[in-house]
Amino acid sequence: MKIVVCIKQVPETNNVTIDPVTHNLDRRGLAGVMNPFDKNAIELALHLKDTATEDVQVALLTMGPDDYAESLREGMAMGADTGYLLSDRAFAGADTLATGYVIAQALKKIGDADLILFGRQAVDADTGQVGPIVAEFLHQPQITYAASLRLSGKNEVTAERLLEDTKQTLVAQLPAVVSVRSELNTPRYPTPRNIQLSFDKPLTVWHHDDLDLDDSRLGQAGSPTIVTKVYAPKPVKRELTPLTGTPSEAASQLIKALKGRQLI
Amino acid sequence: MPSTTAAAEKLLLQMVDDYTEREISPEDMPMDAAGDFPAGFMQKLTDTGFLGIMLPQEFGGAGFGPEVTAKALNHIARGNASTAVTLEGHFKTIDQILKFGTPALQKQLLPSANDRIFAFSMTEASGGSNPLGISSTATREGDHWVINGDKIMITNGGLAQVYCVLVKTAPKELSVFVVDQDMPGFSFGKREDFIGLSGTPVGEIVMDHIIVDDDHLLGKLGDGGIIGDSAHDDARILMGAVLTGIMEHELKIATDYAKERKAGDTPLTALQVTHRKVADIAMRKETTRLLYQNAAKLKAAGQPYSEEAAMAKAHGSRAAVSAGDDTLQILAGYGYSREYPVEHLIRDARAMEIAEGTVEKMRSAIATAEFNK
Amino acid sequence: MSKPELWVIAERRLDHIEPTTQQLITKAKHLAGNAFHTVVILFEATNDHLEDELKPYGPDEIRVVRDDRFPTATDAEHADALEQLVHKYQPNSILFGATITGRSIAPRLQAKFQTGLTADCLDLRFDDDTLVATKPSYGDNIMCEIICPDHRPQMATVRPNTFVAETTTGDATVTTDTITFHPVDRLQVKAATPVVNTATTVGDATRVVALGRGAASAATIDTATQLAEKLGGRIGVSRPLTDQERFTHDDQIGQSGNTIHPELILNFGISGAVQYLVGMQDSQTIVAVNADKDAPIFDVADYGYVGDASAFMSALLDQFV
Repeated sequence: MKIVVCIKQVPETNNVTIDPVTHNLDRRGLAGVMNPFDKNAIELALHLKDTATEDVQVALLTMGPDDYAESLREGMAMGADTGYLLSDRAFAGADTLATGYVIAQALKKIGDADLILFGRQAVDADTGQVGPIVAEFLHQPQITYAASLRLSGKNEVTAERLLEDTKQTLVAQLPAVVSVRSELNTPRYPTPRNIQLSFDKPLTVWHHDDLDLDDSRLGQAGSPTIVTKVYAPKPVKRELTPLTGTPSEAASQLIKALKGRQLI
Repeated sequence: MPSTTAAAEKLLLQMVDDYTEREISPEDMPMDAAGDFPAGFMQKLTDTGFLGIMLPQEFGGAGFGPEVTAKALNHIARGNASTAVTLEGHFKTIDQILKFGTPALQKQLLPSANDRIFAFSMTEASGGSNPLGISSTATREGDHWVINGDKIMITNGGLAQVYCVLVKTAPKELSVFVVDQDMPGFSFGKREDFIGLSGTPVGEIVMDHIIVDDDHLLGKLGDGGIIGDSAHDDARILMGAVLTGIMEHELKIATDYAKERKAGDTPLTALQVTHRKVADIAMRKETTRLLYQNAAKLKAAGQPYSEEAAMAKAHGSRAAVSAGDDTLQILAGYGYSREYPVEHLIRDARAMEIAEGTVEKMRSAIATAEFNK
Repeated sequence: MSKPELWVIAERRLDHIEPTTQQLITKAKHLAGNAFHTVVILFEATNDHLEDELKPYGPDEIRVVRDDRFPTATDAEHADALEQLVHKYQPNSILFGATITGRSIAPRLQAKFQTGLTADCLDLRFDDDTLVATKPSYGDNIMCEIICPDHRPQMATVRPNTFVAETTTGDATVTTDTITFHPVDRLQVKAATPVVNTATTVGDATRVVALGRGAASAATIDTATQLAEKLGGRIGVSRPLTDQERFTHDDQIGQSGNTIHPELILNFGISGAVQYLVGMQDSQTIVAVNADKDAPIFDVADYGYVGDASAFMSALLDQFV
């Protein structure tokens, strides 16, 4: 069985600032770390590897600059077998669609993945879109926000999916794309020894020419969305609506207001 | 791309920070209150591979060098000095087996250092800083050795399963043997009730007619003094690292508090009296860091580092106590309260003016080294 | 020439409409003015009449597609059905709730049309027929305005409770349409069950009744407990109350306790020290009741009452249906 976990590297904190002159994001001095939610996806893959009766190979896949290799190493230190880095200037500036396209093309080249896993979303951009986009490009069914997942038969997984107030049980024939909730598991720590040994595991870097790509769908040019403005939100002082009169009168005003906000 | 070594160091420290923040740091105050680490704590630490950080890969460890190992303890101590000191005691012992043990002894013992804690024991009731005053002995009987004696104040004593023990093999001859808690004649004595580093057990072992073969002799007969000094040197670098971590913790408490509070209408951050204290804490922390990292660098390069290691601990221990005192004063009433960790950091730091050689003894060693230049 | 269509995709929750849909209808109507035709797309089973829950919010049209497979349809099947409708009507823009369902279906539809999708929006506006979507990033520390100038439909998912749903007079036209349902056999929804709010900690609760020094008597705490039960929430406390036997540090809100952001927090007898405020000021709706009119809690509150916390709480509980 082959599992590919798609991961992203994100800034170590979300405390980014805006350059007052250029109005660009100032990410100087912010080290990159693996998107924390992606560790849950890796943990799921490793758990399947640890418990399945068949041989399970876990590969990691990411797209980004060369230093994203650090996150691949970290995932390999957790226990993944191999890593793929998709790195090329042509991929830069991609939105979720252009990113999903390159990831999908890389998955085709890796081939035969039974399970393609994603974290629920990246903590920086917070979209959670790339998983479903990849599933669509690969014509695969998807289970997003899985709260649990187990192998329930040959080439079959059973998952629970938690919607806001509904729990679904889904059964998928593999291959399938799954994104996982962070409540699913507690990711293991890479042990110090496995950190060292991860540098002996294969890490493959694919550039533009290594993949079968339509250039018009890459990077900024291949991204339908354009960011026109970036700004730091002003802390909004809330508009206070006073409740007045006797406690009883005030309570009834509040109930009306909360009903309007669909809170009760 | 950074070198493999640098990348591995970064990943290790990142992992150490994560684990410390989530698993070790939250236990710091409870450990101090309970006087012990909680059940399961050491097992988790072991499962996460912390015991093997500096153990060579051939023995199943990670094989990080002296500089990275010291940094790892520095980072752990930011959240919990006790845990860092427990690892310090373990690592310094492994270091002596690596330096002085025969290949056969290493092969026999070291693979288990990934999941068993090791300890180095010198002190006896008759006096800590006078090795020849000890009364433990190893005597030759037939083709093996018989060890008798009583060792106290052992870092990790009672927790560790493997002990390097300093004994007399002749009236003026000190040697080191390795004994295991499973050997007949081995038993644990009392645990010390110390005022700080409550998560690090310090206790006694009693050796009553323990029989070992020649292969459990570390180094040669008569090497005891050299091995003991070497263990001190290695421990002192790591203690400098632990003290740096304590001071980073103190500095964070002091600056967080100062940024939040006002004296009357004036923010504490605008008061010169705060500036002076915070700057002093920061300078003490940074000088200690430079001292321990310098000693670790010399060690990694195979150069002498005994004097530099002594400086890291002698300077760092008083620095951390003073920095704690300044932090306490910035927090005033809260600093004196058990609700904040300041008072317990001072108690933790205070231990390191005594353990692994008193600061007085280290100053003598530093001065002697200077006279001899 | 007919007006371009602005769509809101209705989302169902077992047997009712997810509230975000109604919030989006109100917002879509404001956005549309006279320039767009607002259409709600509703997939339901043949005997469902969920459109009745949508009509009061007054979209121009509710376009209903019925198939008994919809209630348990998967993301791919929903996206496939939407694809057919998009081909047919060529809407200008499509809005989804940034719920788990919306965030799962929308990107599949986006990929089919290779168009832009902006996630989890906090504001929307039109510049001519270009949708300008405001999207938070970096944990809401940064806001981005994002457009999709050259591709249609324009798509966005919108964070629940960003907009307030308003009912209107006037009737929405209900039309029906058909699509070809393409079942995906490889994935099946085997069961769907409602989940009751099982918050076990104040950090998990979507509704919180918070008590401070001014609401600390045993009787007040009893009343607050009943209120929390009715709301389906939990009690949280400011630091002074952690000394009480009934509460522990786990119940504490604030810098040294839990940082929470529930949908609703009712603060009783809490003055609002900075350490407390940082732990709860990102809550969606904040209500404060305090005897001191100058209490800092009122600076972060949406609704405030100056008066006795216990009396107000009792009155609120009495009027709760």
